[in-house]
Amino acid sequence: MNRFFNPFYYLFLILQISFILCNFAYAHKVSTYAYREGDIVFGECYFVDGSPCKNSKVEVYDSKGKKIQELSTDEKGKYSFKALEKGTIKIVIPAGEGHKAEYVLKGLKEIDTDKDISTTKKEDKSFKPQASINKDEIRQVIDEALDVKLQGLRNELMDIRKQMDRVSLREIIGGIGYIVGVWAIIMLLKRKKDAS
Amino acid sequence: MHISEGVLSAPVLITGAVLSLGGLTLGLKRIKNEDIPKVAILSSAFFIASLIHVPIGPTSAHLVLNGLLGMLLGWGAFPSIFVALILQGILFQFGGLTTLGVNTFSMAMPAVLSYYVFKGFLKGGKNIAFLGGFLGGVFSLLLAALFISLALIETERSFTAVAGTLLVMHIPISIIEGIITGFVVVYLKKVKPEALG
Repeated sequence: MNRFFNPFYYLFLILQISFILCNFAYAHKVSTYAYREGDIVFGECYFVDGSPCKNSKVEVYDSKGKKIQELSTDEKGKYSFKALEKGTIKIVIPAGEGHKAEYVLKGLKEIDTDKDISTTKKEDKSFKPQASINKDEIRQVIDEALDVKLQGLRNELMDIRKQMDRVSLREIIGGIGYIVGVWAIIMLLKRKKDAS
Repeated sequence: MHISEGVLSAPVLITGAVLSLGGLTLGLKRIKNEDIPKVAILSSAFFIASLIHVPIGPTSAHLVLNGLLGMLLGWGAFPSIFVALILQGILFQFGGLTTLGVNTFSMAMPAVLSYYVFKGFLKGGKNIAFLGGFLGGVFSLLLAALFISLALIETERSFTAVAGTLLVMHIPISIIEGIITGFVVVYLKKVKPEALG
């Protein structure tokens, strides 16, 4: 009987019930980051604490603000789509309940690789390749090798971006300092007004 | 709880800003000079509370503490929350500067309302004061969720869906806040009764 009067018993009970009740995706700020790999754009969407933004809608807009694609993130918060648009594209993730993430992916500059190769060919007239390799094949091989090498770098970049979005102790302490400062100024102004 | 930039339309933003401005002027007038250190401390508490994520199931929700500010400050909750929200917006990109008015109003107004409804409880005994603090904390947060849903009424497809999600999402956290507010009120009653005003 005694435990029914103990407030901590109720506290424990209430906490337990509340833990069972709630399993909605919720966090404060949503961020997203994307990069191009050939024709395909890869991206990731995550909350400020680093947890992925699951099954969220992703909208892709072109430079004129026209919606070109709509897709959704997977279980790990990742998404990818084929982007035929070479210009700047904007990726918007409306995560609901007033949260929204945006990322602008810069357009690609058209690199005229064909010209470079043809000029070198002219210069090296004396040199005859034993087997003629299609330049598209060369490009493909280079692309594949680069993708493997760049994967690590891209993961690192993503980690750094996530870290930047995380709140640091420096900002918290600075923020408290600002708040105290603002109120000190208000107090000073009020005192002056009262004195006059 | 914070609405991000670029979600709301101009009329909603302006309405929020005007309403907040009213609350701010009233709050600044009501705050006594000797109470300002208390306001500053609670402002800092509100500022940090949003960073405290309470793990609930697979995800987490964060504290808001608007009920605590309301119960201890009354109308002073408006400027107190406003200052904290500016810094959250600038430093953490929580919410945003254009949505400052809407966010301030939707968090501070419930706090002020629960102050008027439950302040009588604080004058009672220890248990009644705890109950007052608890109810103040719970109602402030749930009402804030409702206000946020109202602000999102034209952005989201259906009001009831958003309000429902937000309310259910905030039930556990509102109970935690209620307990925190209750304990703080009882503690202050014991060690510094004049702080409860």
